Amino acid sequence: MKFNKFLLVLLAGFFTTIGFSCKKVLEVQPNSLAAEENHWNNYEDAKGGLIGIYTLMRTAMVADNTHWLMGDLRQGDFTSTNRSDLKAIIDGELNASYPVIQRVSNWKRFYSVINAASLFIERSREIVASDPRYTPINNQVDVAQARALRAFAYFYMVRIWGDVPLLITSHDGDFNTHPRTSKDKVLAYATSELLLATKVLPFRYGGNDPIFPGLYYGANWPTWNGVLFTKLSAYAVLSHIAAWQGNYLDCEVYTKYFLDNITSLNGDGSFGVKYISVDELTENVNGYSPFAFKRAVQIVGFGFEYGNGEATANGHLEQLTLAAPLILKANPEIFIPKDTIRKAFTDVNDLRFSIDPLTKLYRKNYFTNYSSEQPIFSKIKCIGSAQISGNFALFTSAVLFTRYEEVTLLRAEALAVLGQRDEAISALNRASALRGIKPFQSNSSSDVIEAIFAERRRELMGEGWRWYDLVRLNRIKKNNPAFNTLLANGGIYWPVSRDILSANPSIKQNPYWN
Amino acid sequence: MGKNFTKIFCFLLFFAFAAKANSNKHVDSKIAFNVNLLMFQQDSIQADTSIKDSIGRSIRERARFKGNRDSIKVSTARNLPNLSLQQMIKGNVSGLYVQETSGEPGSEQSMIIQGSSTPIFTKKDIYNMQPAVYVNGVYLVQEHPFAYEVQKYDYNRIGPATNLLANVDIDNIASIEVIKDPVSLAKLGPNAANGAIWITTKAAKSGLREISFNSYFGMVQAGGANTVNGVFENKFRQPFYQKYASQANLNNYASYLRDSTNLDYFGKSNWSDLYYQNAPIFTANLGITGGSEKANFRFFGSGTKNAGNADETSLTKYNAFFNINMMPFKWLTVSSFLNASRMDRDRNKNLRDRYAEVRYLPDFVNPLSPNKDNYQLFLNEYSKVVDDNRNNLLNGSLSLNFKLTPKLNFNTAVVFDYNEGIRDAFFPTTLMDGINFVSGYFGYNQRFGLNNQLNYQYDLNKDNVFDFEVGQSVQGDTYKYNYARGYDGNSDFIKINVVEGNSNDDDYLNAINNFYLFRYTDRTRNGMMSFYGSAKYSYKNLLSFGAIIRRDGSSNGQPDSRWITTPAFSADWNLKNQFLTKNKFFNQLNIGASWSRVAKIFLEDRFGAGPQYRSEYGWYEEPTIPTFGGFQGITRPYNTGWVGYGVSLPYADRLNISASSTMLNNRISTSVTLYNRTNKNQLLNIPVSGESGYTSIYKNGMEINNMGVDFDFTATIIPNEKALSWTSGLNLNYNKNELKALPDGLSELVIGDNKLKVGKSSGSYWLYTNNGIYNSDSEVPTNPSNGQKLAFNGLTLKAGDPRWVDYNGDYNITDADKQFTGDRLPKLIGGWMNDFKYKNFELNFHLFFALGQKAINQFDASRYDFANRESANDINSIKEVTTWQTSDKIKTYPIYNVWSNVIPYRADQDLFLENASYVKLRSVTLGYDLTKSKFISNAKLGFRRAYLYLTGSNLLTITNFSGTDPELINYTGYYNGTSLPIARTYTIGLKLDL
Repeated sequence: MKFNKFLLVLLAGFFTTIGFSCKKVLEVQPNSLAAEENHWNNYEDAKGGLIGIYTLMRTAMVADNTHWLMGDLRQGDFTSTNRSDLKAIIDGELNASYPVIQRVSNWKRFYSVINAASLFIERSREIVASDPRYTPINNQVDVAQARALRAFAYFYMVRIWGDVPLLITSHDGDFNTHPRTSKDKVLAYATSELLLATKVLPFRYGGNDPIFPGLYYGANWPTWNGVLFTKLSAYAVLSHIAAWQGNYLDCEVYTKYFLDNITSLNGDGSFGVKYISVDELTENVNGYSPFAFKRAVQIVGFGFEYGNGEATANGHLEQLTLAAPLILKANPEIFIPKDTIRKAFTDVNDLRFSIDPLTKLYRKNYFTNYSSEQPIFSKIKCIGSAQISGNFALFTSAVLFTRYEEVTLLRAEALAVLGQRDEAISALNRASALRGIKPFQSNSSSDVIEAIFAERRRELMGEGWRWYDLVRLNRIKKNNPAFNTLLANGGIYWPVSRDILSANPSIKQNPYWN
Repeated sequence: MGKNFTKIFCFLLFFAFAAKANSNKHVDSKIAFNVNLLMFQQDSIQADTSIKDSIGRSIRERARFKGNRDSIKVSTARNLPNLSLQQMIKGNVSGLYVQETSGEPGSEQSMIIQGSSTPIFTKKDIYNMQPAVYVNGVYLVQEHPFAYEVQKYDYNRIGPATNLLANVDIDNIASIEVIKDPVSLAKLGPNAANGAIWITTKAAKSGLREISFNSYFGMVQAGGANTVNGVFENKFRQPFYQKYASQANLNNYASYLRDSTNLDYFGKSNWSDLYYQNAPIFTANLGITGGSEKANFRFFGSGTKNAGNADETSLTKYNAFFNINMMPFKWLTVSSFLNASRMDRDRNKNLRDRYAEVRYLPDFVNPLSPNKDNYQLFLNEYSKVVDDNRNNLLNGSLSLNFKLTPKLNFNTAVVFDYNEGIRDAFFPTTLMDGINFVSGYFGYNQRFGLNNQLNYQYDLNKDNVFDFEVGQSVQGDTYKYNYARGYDGNSDFIKINVVEGNSNDDDYLNAINNFYLFRYTDRTRNGMMSFYGSAKYSYKNLLSFGAIIRRDGSSNGQPDSRWITTPAFSADWNLKNQFLTKNKFFNQLNIGASWSRVAKIFLEDRFGAGPQYRSEYGWYEEPTIPTFGGFQGITRPYNTGWVGYGVSLPYADRLNISASSTMLNNRISTSVTLYNRTNKNQLLNIPVSGESGYTSIYKNGMEINNMGVDFDFTATIIPNEKALSWTSGLNLNYNKNELKALPDGLSELVIGDNKLKVGKSSGSYWLYTNNGIYNSDSEVPTNPSNGQKLAFNGLTLKAGDPRWVDYNGDYNITDADKQFTGDRLPKLIGGWMNDFKYKNFELNFHLFFALGQKAINQFDASRYDFANRESANDINSIKEVTTWQTSDKIKTYPIYNVWSNVIPYRADQDLFLENASYVKLRSVTLGYDLTKSKFISNAKLGFRRAYLYLTGSNLLTITNFSGTDPELINYTGYYNGTSLPIARTYTIGLKLDL
């Protein structure tokens, strides 16, 4: 009797337990991650991996407003209203210990791009074998983009820190430390990678591109333009690397290719590229605004599309420059003082900014509230769904590295340095043709190089160029003793963040900041 | 959702069958469902009081921990208006540290048993060291920290963020025990790796129907504030401007302080009249037990309102508890309980907390005015806010016990716990610079478990007795949330986010032409499977030895290392029986030792997967940007840290040596436990060189040791039963924390503003030493070797900068000059309880203390660093209305140049380090037992007990700390002055047993 009962219970216990076999209990697929063995298997993995590199690059450029903090502040036109950290950058005290300065001087975020790109280059070909939808040509184009982005990240870092460690493989799962590599070597590598990429990169994705026709990941050119690196994006970056190295011969060659092929970006049912008017530049005109939406005019740029939930507060110049009456904030964090504005915009017909000598009215494209002590720099103003004013202070302007006008001015610079004065002047005048200013006369006694950089200062104000332009200008001119000291001592480079130095003893601080 | 309901439904069905199956003649199957029926059926049940409650007893015998000394005195605790479990046990048990970081009722609280096993650098770390809480053997499921991944600020978890342990009602509790003994913990397994708290509710019992009714009513007392206005603030700033301001600084003088005729800021400062208010608190509950030997029940229902004294905060909860025991056959006992509660919480109006959720920062140039009329305008607008926080909780178990033979027992139990949190929030445009905000949260935590045990008692002979047990358990957890936040809706009248409901529509589940929406959803599951065997041998009444071996597998471990086998041993020696049988002084004297190893399971599922890909590419300011160009990217976990292969489970090794005795006719009882716990093989997220692209990498190998002593002492000082009697109890814990090892054999490691160093406490601060001020540039020392002035991280120090100590003499103050100083957690904690009895009166008071901990006064740091704080326009720029006050205790600091690039008022220096030790008078209770008073007993009302009491809680704090309260320091050791005060509370209560 008792024995039977015992058996019965054991059986009951056994059956209740068997439902939860070990395997079922312990094999749980996580929701928020893909394990190694489930990745690099199909088409979607390739697309996710590729987009991942772009997102990381965007983050690297905009995190804590890096692009503008590093590009526009130091010795630039802006003044800090009352933020001591921004003032320290403007004054070149880059070793000040503010949290923002600590964060932007950490290069980790660029190496995330580099690691993701290297990993993609190494691993994505596995998908070709496992998913027939992923064609070898598709893979080659994707790898070319990864190469171009990696090279771009290296160039962006070299501009900031000079020598940086050069890693050309992902070292996936291997966390060895690496010393800094000379900047020339890094830039040479970036150049070679970009040249490799230009052989494969199409002019357009998803359309009738001669190299790579047909839908790209199931989508057409209107979906992809302004999003992905094209052949011309790569050439634009190549031109800049060459210019930064002082290699204006190559710069001239690359910019020529760029300008000769610019029309390849047009077609396939989307907005193309042209020299844009001032209103198109500053008033978020649909189709050709280089900041609002994602458009072909953003030769190298990374968008924040409102409709996709990509609007953010940080990561845009607007966070620093806008204030009432455009948004509700009382004071901007940085502004351009009136004196500086008047010095930069000398032509009374300049459509970007000028004061009508008769009516005393000023043009509002670049500045709002010019009459006040703190004019609002309102050239870039994508508020919410690309509105030019509003209460909802999440911004959607793209972070823009270069556009058509910028590359044209770079070509003018290259030609001028190479002594081809007439061609240089013609490029300069072409870039500024729609700005209402008097063309630069070939018989003018003014220095054409100075004129090109003055135009760059006006045209590219707030686009993260001023500091790098000053470096190139002073490398060409060498007429500013203080700047020459900076150039000679590596003072043009940022200090490396303490976090980097403490995690990797083989990295040495830039000597200027010791 | 559906799945859970199915599970619950199945459970109820099972429950119903179980009820049906019982052969009791008196109770029909409705017993499970119809409480009223049962109550009135009482008369028909032939209660047999001569056999006392055999089912209840057999259940209690099976309770695994009895006679444990670390139990709280529940009878005293019942007189206090404590809301949460943490509050109930605070200061009551040696070795258990509870710090209430906010006085807001129902806000999250934590417990730490015998020191912290990991460094506490972020709020997430706190989740990882919470002890397991069991109610009648059900391991309660708590909130999962994974929601912090989609948050920008970690002040509060998204959702209702209500303390789920506020659900416990002391009037329904028979005992609360804190389990610290290694072997007992080993029996509970990995769940209890951080210690355990074992709650047993009052059980059903047979006998005459018993009804108990308890109620209290009380007031929380409004705190006072020494309020100030713009004049005070201007005066505070004046010396900085006089000494250091440039013209630009003067031009940027805070606009709200510029115009001293502006009554908003320079008028009467009387905001506190509206902010601090007396508030009523009350509770009423009813417990009913009854039934026969074969089947009996307990029902408990309660309603409670608890309130804070500031900002109109409160928590309302309702609780229904139902317990049935049945013995359909001699060999089978069925016991089950079901506990359901609901909690609604009114949260604070703290701007920082609200904006932290909103994640949208308007302009903070003009703070809230200190004037009552203006503050009322704000409150008027705030009345349009929706801020609903609700939790529904349901837990229970069904256990079957089979007495197979007199010596062989089989027990099987199904346990479950489900709780859900719902939060709806809406903030109108008038509060946020023309933008409104909506958010909706639904999340649930669910645990389901099946435990089987087989016991066999084997008596070799009279002197040698063996007890064997084998057991097996399965446990499955699911955590999920859906969260959406939206901005810029069309009007302030539409306060919810309406989405497209047509699944064929392209915009299915998108907001209908209204809010700009961000949406998050996540789910994580984990499973655990355990087997164990234990044996216990006792020799006479002298010696006993126990051993356990268990094997646990977790889905959160990597496939090759998810199983871990761990042993435990114990030995006890009864010295009294061995040597002192004749001794009169000692009534009892035991010594014992026990050692165990228990695995600690990962909370997160990321470690089981090994190398992985996620979608994380945000940055510090925008951590959750969803896409690029509308497409989601997949990347390595560059921001949260690399997880490689070979991540193995951490474990804790515990050794306790204890002695306990009672003396002098049991008038004195004392126990001492020396403990030594080492948490080994712990995972640490180590910063890696940035060139890898990763912030950090997870590595095993961190080892932290906590060594200390628990001491308990209880004495009946005046034993007189008739007249005055006095009993006094003291509990003490001294703990020493030491980091024993770091991964990869590292000896030290810098993580952000903290440093871990082998041999030091893992809770130590790491700070610059401040030694005064440089009044002129010439005072700054010059390096004789190169003529360079002393610098701070390369930045030359100037007049008005702090005199930081350059320990390594390299004329550059860097991380290398930071020193370990002070500890976050107290060295000595304890409580002192006193009971006086005189005739029908009882007086009880409870002191508790925490000594030896330090805190960084970040509130002062940011008060002095006003220039940077106000200009940053970030979350720290927010000036709460409560900052318009000062106190006598407030400290003053040297007047440094606030505009200096070295940030003179940085928090990572010992300038702001303060002693945060405290002693608190937790409660005083005066009770009167009406049962014994003549007019009641003469009236023959049939009370078994009637008790009236008055209680005052949180009455007094003794401390040197300069902030409002040394408890209101956050987990990472920073006092930021934003927490609501812990209210002084007075209650009057009545307890009736019928």
